[in-house]
Amino acid sequence: MTVQADILTENAPDMRRIERRRALFWLLPPILWFVGFMLVPYAITLFYSFGRMDYVQFVAGFSLDNYVKVLTVQPYAGLILRSAKIGLLTAFWSTLLAYPVAIAMAFYLSSECAKHILYILVILPWWASYLVKAYAWKTILGTHGLLNEGLIWLGVIDEPLTVFLYNDFSIILTLTYIFTPFAVLSIYAQLERLPLSLIEAARDLGATGWETFIKVIWPISIPGVLAGGVITFSLGFGDFIAPALLGGADSIMISSVVISLLGVANDRPLAAAIGVAIILMAMALLTVSQYLEKRTQVRL
Amino acid sequence: MSATISLQNLRKTFGDGQSGHLAVDDVSLEIAAGQFVSLLGSSGCGKTTTLRIVAGLESPTSGRVLFDGADITHLPASHRDMRMMFQDLALFPHMSVEENVAFGLRLKRMRGKLSADEIRRRVATYLDIVRLGEMRKRMPHQLSGGQRQRVALARALATEPPVVLFDEPLGALDASLRRSTQAELKRIHRELGKTFIYVTHDQDEALSMSDMVAVMSGGRLIQYDTPEGIYERPRTRFVAQFIGAKNLISARVEKVTGSEVLLRLADGTHLGAHAEESLVPGQEVTAVFRADRALMQVNGYTDASLVSGIHVQSMFLGNRMEHIVRLVDGSEVTIHDAQARPLPGDGGPLQFALRPQHVQILTK
Ligand SMILES: Nc1ncnc2c1ncn2[C@@H]1O[C@H](COP(=O)(O)OP(=O)(O)O)[C@@H](O)[C@H]1O
Ligand SMILES: [Mg+2]
Repeated sequence: MTVQADILTENAPDMRRIERRRALFWLLPPILWFVGFMLVPYAITLFYSFGRMDYVQFVAGFSLDNYVKVLTVQPYAGLILRSAKIGLLTAFWSTLLAYPVAIAMAFYLSSECAKHILYILVILPWWASYLVKAYAWKTILGTHGLLNEGLIWLGVIDEPLTVFLYNDFSIILTLTYIFTPFAVLSIYAQLERLPLSLIEAARDLGATGWETFIKVIWPISIPGVLAGGVITFSLGFGDFIAPALLGGADSIMISSVVISLLGVANDRPLAAAIGVAIILMAMALLTVSQYLEKRTQVRL
Repeated sequence: MSATISLQNLRKTFGDGQSGHLAVDDVSLEIAAGQFVSLLGSSGCGKTTTLRIVAGLESPTSGRVLFDGADITHLPASHRDMRMMFQDLALFPHMSVEENVAFGLRLKRMRGKLSADEIRRRVATYLDIVRLGEMRKRMPHQLSGGQRQRVALARALATEPPVVLFDEPLGALDASLRRSTQAELKRIHRELGKTFIYVTHDQDEALSMSDMVAVMSGGRLIQYDTPEGIYERPRTRFVAQFIGAKNLISARVEKVTGSEVLLRLADGTHLGAHAEESLVPGQEVTAVFRADRALMQVNGYTDASLVSGIHVQSMFLGNRMEHIVRLVDGSEVTIHDAQARPLPGDGGPLQFALRPQHVQILTK
């Protein structure tokens, strides 16, 4: 009775209309977020990158001069490469450190409780600010730091060494320390998908521990390694705090240059061009890594 | 090539000492070379754990596993000459069908024993045996459930182990595919002559495929017998009920002559029966018989005893007639009449005959 009565009224519910409204409701926030936080800023950056500075005055225009400068005038291209190298090394060491931890979490901690504790230990450093952690390394590696004092106390050295601080070593060490949790989590997320029975099946078929790792665990973990590698690379690449706090005079990175271009040097168009170049690089990197992740991802 | 497996007083406790859970409780079992042996029991009774101990994927808390007489209790799984077909199949998702089957053949342990050509030939042979020749380039996710099952089987067989273990491998299949796969497994067992140890909770599957069936309950081995033995002569009430024998009669032992026993029923009549264990006169026991062993034609057997009751109802089941009969003590039993003759009306008196070898006395 009531159903029929409803159908006869003007504003009877229409499934199609409801679906449309529901889709709009859920799509609106991400669209707003994307436009406000990504599209508009990128557009502004792009706009600036084609202009030029007339002393302290920005002049809009359409010229590729800034891009030519980025590619040909030192130190910009060199610093981008240098930052990429630091990023790569950060990614490499983070992955190397993270892998065994992720393996232990995925396969060797049988109790949920132990797994949870290790998980929290991995996350815990993130409760402290990045700056605090970077400063902590400074106090450890410095001339009167923990490391030097310790080595002197042990009698290994007589005079404090200066090789620990203000160079690429200290930058990479700090970046690795800070970003390794990201690698742990992405590798762990992938390993967790791997059923324990696959490892047992490999052993059952006669594989040694090493063969099981090389033939089963490693190939299945690759997408997690790639994802963790991209994250740690990107974070290391774009970092400017570690070089500022722990780097030497010649160990600046591209982000530090962008900051000084925006500040003291007041060359916003050049800074924008560097930004666009980096965004393009990041897009290329993500495209390749996503393709590889998809290719190596297993269907369980 | 096959091997004998013998389990001696296996025990497995999960968790620690006092609060631990006894998953396998003193299981001893002799499995002859080339036999198809099923471990049968309901979920959680310790079948998988027992099988995993045999495979070397779990170590027993106590007890021993012998392989052709050699103690392999502490030998790692990778060094045991047996392969397991896992409950979830455990196919390597990043390898093609062919690569999965070749996995065991390409390992260090096999190096030098097989040339690349031989490996290829061996893979082809076993893919043929499981009828998957055309699928060899596919990835596991591109296969149906039944096809995946057969890849797992080919992978387990390809290294030609003398012993193959199965953990409910047909669990995920639908009924008809299940039956055809059972037939195929049986054929493969006959052709290869290996020792098969097969875990299942399905009594029809166990009885139809196996040479021997080990019925388990609560971690214990309850009865180890041929399928006929389990079916005809269940030793305990548990086994009887598990295989679907519902006709239980309470009785008192009157006379014992070897394995021949004379029982006295509630109405004072006598029933000849068979017992595996020694009984004493006066003992209260439960006897069980199968519905299709009841003889409707009561004359013509010198050794048969008559059982009387009241006919409650009949059901026509196509190839047979099923009658429910109430005995004097109030219990109801079901009997089959293969000739499907209708009975005149309900509620009348009904007699059927049982031969002693078809009446089994349960000990527990
Ligand atoms: N790894 C384990 N840890 C703790 N308890 C387990 C473990 N594996 C099995 N059990 C317990 O042991 C008992 C027997 O399990 P299982 O051998 O898998 O039984 P089935 O295969 O007959 O269903 C169950 O009660 C199960 O909960
Ligand atoms: Mg099981």
